[in-house]
Amino acid sequence: MTTTADITRKRATTPLVASVRDLHVHFETKAGVVHAVDGVTFEIRDGETLGLVGETGCGKSVTARSFIRLVPSPPGIYAGGQIDFWSTEARRFQEEPIDLLKVSREEMLAIRGDRIAMIFQDPGKALNPALSIRSQIAEVFFQHRSQEILEVLGPNVPRILRRAARQENTAVERLLLKMPPLRSKADKLQERVDDLVAHALTETQIANPRKIMNSYPHELSGGMKQRVLIAQALACNPDLLIADEPTTALDVTIQARILELIAELQARLETSVLYISHDLSLVKEICDRVAVMYAGRIVETGTTKQIFSNPLHPYTRGLMAAVPSANHRRGELAAIDGTVPELVDPPPSCHFHTRCPYAVEICRTADPGLVSVDDGHTVSCFAYESGDVDADLPSLGT
Amino acid sequence: MPTSHRWEHDLVTSLSTEPGNLDTAKSKRAVISLRGVEKHFPIREGTLQRVVGQVRAVDGVSFEIRPGETVGLVGESGCGKTTLGRCIGGLAPPTGGKIYFRLSDEDAAKLDVVEATPESERTKEHLKQVERIDTDHRIDQLSGKAWRTFRRNCQIVFQDSFSSLNPRQLVKDAVGRPLRVWNEASGRDLTERVVSLLESVGLGRQHLYRYPHQFSGGQRQRISIARALALDPEFIVLDEPTSALDVSVQAQILNLLHALQKERGLTYLFISHDLGVVRLMSDRIAVMYVGKVAEQGTAMELFEDPRHPYTEALLAANPDITSEGSEMRGLRGTLPNPAKPPEGCRFHTRCPVATPVCGWEVDDAVAWLQTNETLLTGLTDVQRRSNFDATLVFKDEASASAVGAAIQNGDVPAPMRAALETFSAEGGKVSMKFSPVEPVQLEDIGGGHLTACLLHTSQRDRI
Repeated sequence: MTTTADITRKRATTPLVASVRDLHVHFETKAGVVHAVDGVTFEIRDGETLGLVGETGCGKSVTARSFIRLVPSPPGIYAGGQIDFWSTEARRFQEEPIDLLKVSREEMLAIRGDRIAMIFQDPGKALNPALSIRSQIAEVFFQHRSQEILEVLGPNVPRILRRAARQENTAVERLLLKMPPLRSKADKLQERVDDLVAHALTETQIANPRKIMNSYPHELSGGMKQRVLIAQALACNPDLLIADEPTTALDVTIQARILELIAELQARLETSVLYISHDLSLVKEICDRVAVMYAGRIVETGTTKQIFSNPLHPYTRGLMAAVPSANHRRGELAAIDGTVPELVDPPPSCHFHTRCPYAVEICRTADPGLVSVDDGHTVSCFAYESGDVDADLPSLGT
Repeated sequence: MPTSHRWEHDLVTSLSTEPGNLDTAKSKRAVISLRGVEKHFPIREGTLQRVVGQVRAVDGVSFEIRPGETVGLVGESGCGKTTLGRCIGGLAPPTGGKIYFRLSDEDAAKLDVVEATPESERTKEHLKQVERIDTDHRIDQLSGKAWRTFRRNCQIVFQDSFSSLNPRQLVKDAVGRPLRVWNEASGRDLTERVVSLLESVGLGRQHLYRYPHQFSGGQRQRISIARALALDPEFIVLDEPTSALDVSVQAQILNLLHALQKERGLTYLFISHDLGVVRLMSDRIAVMYVGKVAEQGTAMELFEDPRHPYTEALLAANPDITSEGSEMRGLRGTLPNPAKPPEGCRFHTRCPVATPVCGWEVDDAVAWLQTNETLLTGLTDVQRRSNFDATLVFKDEASASAVGAAIQNGDVPAPMRAALETFSAEGGKVSMKFSPVEPVQLEDIGGGHLTACLLHTSQRDRI
């Protein structure tokens, strides 16, 4: 029997929520097999915010979508590796994790939206324009909380209502539910769901949730839509929230509010967050740990402090130097020359060697792999192969 | 055109002068002068498409762009910055106000004199002067040669290089097109000119016979820049040129733009929502909010000593990679509807330091009531006498008094409550009257630093 004290102690040692090991995701194209994710390894600890940073096309979104198997297949192929996931229950009873890449479709449906939820980049595209906000959030409850919803009707609920609570009812059944004697019970069911939806919206500090529920996405502003998506994602109190550039489509003033909201809800619900972004300065503000991705691989991981005060990988340094700031003089931004390499059948090499100012012969022929250089700070570069942080590169841009 | 020779003369001098001396040769005039520019889009409704309102995308903007400088234009999406850029580029005629191209300081002073004179007292001489200046410099009235000179010298680089390059045109055709249109070059000469343009933006001969889809986003933006440079313009409108690019590529493009500016003495209007980028690239910055300029000044002044709460809010919300442990702060509420911009200061609905004289109106009270689930359910009619004065009619006494209590005791913004001149909730009616307020004007607070915030101008005493 585990006591509360045990659980608290375990939290102190920060158990894992998810662990990605050597993940490979390939896409089959006419030009060849694209290795979009090419051996990614990282861990997400309980209650933390992990930032996954990288430029367009580095595979960060594909990695995130692999968690809930949303990579379209074909052309996508999960070519190897595993994603272990511990739900709260699994952790409490010290069960073995489940491999998200191996679970059946039905198990995945139960996890997706319930234990692992996702907020998408463009709230305008993620919401269905033809459905009201009410029905889009209600769907989550029908999918994952049908038993709880049915409790309002007491025991011995007719089968037709049980099916209605899972949104499995047919058109004929829907018609029957609109007539007495089932109508009153169906209305009760709807009322219960409406309460849940309104509560979920209130959580995201939307004023007047009952009014918003009845509106359609086009009636809401971008910031409001993103709040609706957050309400939808957090409706079932998930263990892991994947936020895929949730504020890229928003203005800075709105962005700050949305990030405040996510942070506050995360603290209250004790959810772990995988935060995907291309914006380094944003990641610095909100993440506990950071993993930097380049061309399908993780090049550096560490705590936010480690990454930002002591970046080791040439790519991480290049990225930071490229962000315009007050310290830069005009025309003297440290740009990284060249472009991201093609990921079609990549050779075994450090993927960054084509743009790296310090590349030597070995970088072209072998993959350095992640090496731990400090407590929790790992980097994938031959310069630090001995695990020696002081084996320093000449600083970039000088 | 009797006056066209002056244009030619101007063009010739600008071409023959050394790039280094360009600034001194041209400093007696502005490249672009905006005087109260407005761009309103009609809202049409019904079968007859009657005009029922105007979206005031740009609503009275005035500033100057001097030769060789970069003016930054920042603001949130929907504030009218792109529309203003299109007006300046000659792509959309303004519905009000005037945009002048190459207006000399002498002529600008004359226009100032005329504008300062009341309309009834303007003499024939005045009108004649204005007419001459308008036909020579005002871009929506230019004709013939003057118009062509303007078009040559004013180019635009758009935000989305996917949609601004024709997918069926080879790079050679896209970049060479301006040269062909102007009969500047043809045949082998044209190819060589295109190659040298491509080389100036970091591309090369090997890219001549490729289509846009064969390039990455950064390379496509380089092609757009090369096309803009083809006719050796004086002025380029850069409409969010790097917002679709990754930081490492953005840095390449920003460096390129700066190098080109130094080399060719270009003048830029840099439109962006990214404060870091604008700060880096601009000499002077105008901050726009709902169609109006909120604050204007040098990049240094604006970032080190912002004098408008909106600028402060933008800075506070912007994550900064160099700062240590700063907190990002957002703004409550959303951008107001530009079809019905707020009275007084347009920012007062979201302003953290708003005062009672900032322009509170009936709509603000209603918007606040709408955030409550139940308060407005009993509303049956609104009798609106002005934006500041209205009566809400409710179906029963109880809902009216509930609204009355909410406004008098609820968590209404304190300045809004203080702005109420009269307020009563009796007989199922809620009447409210706010003190009317004039729109806030931009005011110079020293050395060309302009702000439209009452707290920082001479209007401060009104508070």
